[in-house]
Amino acid sequence: MSVIEIKELTKYYYIGRNKVVIGLENVSFNVEEGEIYGILGPNGSGKTTCLKLLLGILYPTSGEISILGKNQFDIEMKKNVGFLPENPYYYDYLTGPELLKFYGKLFEIPDKIINKRIEKLLFLVKLHEVKKLALKHYSKGMLERIGLAASLINDPKILILDEPTTGLDPIGCIETRDLLIQLKKEGKTILLSSHFLSEVERVCDRITIFHRGYLLATGKLDELIQKYKAEGLEDLFVKTIQEFDQKGEKK
Amino acid sequence: MKKAWLIGLNTFKESLRKKTLYILLVVAFVVIGASKAFSFLTAEEELKMIKDVSFSGIEFFGALIAIFISLTAISNEIEKRTIYTLFSKPITRQNFFIGKLFGTILILLLNFILMSLFFIGLLIFKKSPPDIQVFKTLLLIFIELILIGSITLTVATFASDAFNVIFSFFLYIVGHLTSYGNQLADRTENLILKGLWKVLYTVVPNYENFNIRDKVVVGIDVSWQYVFKTGIYGILYLAVILLIGSYFIQKREI
Ligand SMILES: Nc1ncnc2c1ncn2[C@@H]1O[C@H](COP(=O)(O)OP(=O)(O)OP(=O)(O)O)[C@@H](O)[C@H]1O
Ligand SMILES: [Mg+2]
Repeated sequence: MSVIEIKELTKYYYIGRNKVVIGLENVSFNVEEGEIYGILGPNGSGKTTCLKLLLGILYPTSGEISILGKNQFDIEMKKNVGFLPENPYYYDYLTGPELLKFYGKLFEIPDKIINKRIEKLLFLVKLHEVKKLALKHYSKGMLERIGLAASLINDPKILILDEPTTGLDPIGCIETRDLLIQLKKEGKTILLSSHFLSEVERVCDRITIFHRGYLLATGKLDELIQKYKAEGLEDLFVKTIQEFDQKGEKK
Repeated sequence: MKKAWLIGLNTFKESLRKKTLYILLVVAFVVIGASKAFSFLTAEEELKMIKDVSFSGIEFFGALIAIFISLTAISNEIEKRTIYTLFSKPITRQNFFIGKLFGTILILLLNFILMSLFFIGLLIFKKSPPDIQVFKTLLLIFIELILIGSITLTVATFASDAFNVIFSFFLYIVGHLTSYGNQLADRTENLILKGLWKVLYTVVPNYENFNIRDKVVVGIDVSWQYVFKTGIYGILYLAVILLIGSYFIQKREI
């Protein structure tokens, strides 16, 4: 069953009067329940744009989004979704537990349950020892961790993560990867974007490659590698992108 | 509404811990406190002086605080990208906007209460406890401050900070001059110009309506009826402003 359906999604950014930047161009794909789905692509390929559109943070130029059978602005639907933005940044003057509490309350979760979850999550992301520290003193990796905890505060069915491991040290990366696999076992659906090909290779059931706003390829990793006669994910990545750029030049 | 309240509380908390506002508050205290430095005046004159300077000081510094907080209430969240996380949560953009209004009002209320307490303390110290007229004046000032803040907050939903700050101060000044505008309208013969003045007079917030301190200081009583009428004017104006803000926050691309 598809929990996320994206149909012919297009997003143009208008800069000034006449200048148009393509964020996303006619992209369609589905994410199935219980899988980890990875969006890959070079810088500026539209990964973040796609995720922001999914959460109703940006308005699409055209196309349709359905999450758990609802459109992307539906409030009830959002109770089942967790989101970690890229390079997350939070309220400077709050502490970690305060931040989680604030978000938890927006989900209308009873205080008792929130408090329990905060304890659990802080432990999970290894921030339980800095409970009194204001977020403005957090390092980049710590912000990423508290962001991950924040995205789990509502125990979401769907988790959307924009580059969840940037800023993390190697051990943090491995821990996050293990956590994602653990969450998948718990039945959650995860949609993530990433630059780290090896990481994607290990956790994702299916992937899609974006480039300049276009969707180049989508499917199971091994199938794609076969199809493009590539040697591995890295090779596949380079091949699809080169092929696309060559086509563009011919035109 | 509950979610808006949570967002408001969060805004309030942030601002309390940021401490930048305390500077303005200290300056306001100094100004109000300085009003009793004119010891060469007779006791009665000195009391007038204290009241005049204090009312003006509370209004002026209140306006500065109102503009200052509502200016950054929305743009801070956008600049620091906290808005991305917030908008991914089960809230509407109206929840967010009204939340920012609540937060602004809370901060304003706290500053206003502190300044007023200082002023009232001063009056009591001078053995002239405040009468009801003083409270009427303060009440109207507070409503004016909410209006000033919410206008800046609404402009923030569609305009840049730089434009907003200039516009807000411009409006603050013009809003105190509207009665002159009205007089001008009455005097001009030219119908188009007359109409224009009238429209301006209606559209621009009439901040001067909330100013009864000139009367109260010299001992002229202002009726409850006037206070009530002006309060209603403030609330109606606020309602229109908030509708405009809700509309633009919904359309806003972030
Ligand atoms: N607010 C904006 N205004 C104008 N253009 C934008 C805006 N946001 C993104 N873009 C443009 O849209 C394109 C896609 O950007 P996006 O942030 O989605 O890329 P990305 O794949 O997430 O890149 P990265 O890997 O660097 O995070 C880029 O060309 C970018 O310049
Ligand atoms: Mg990105």
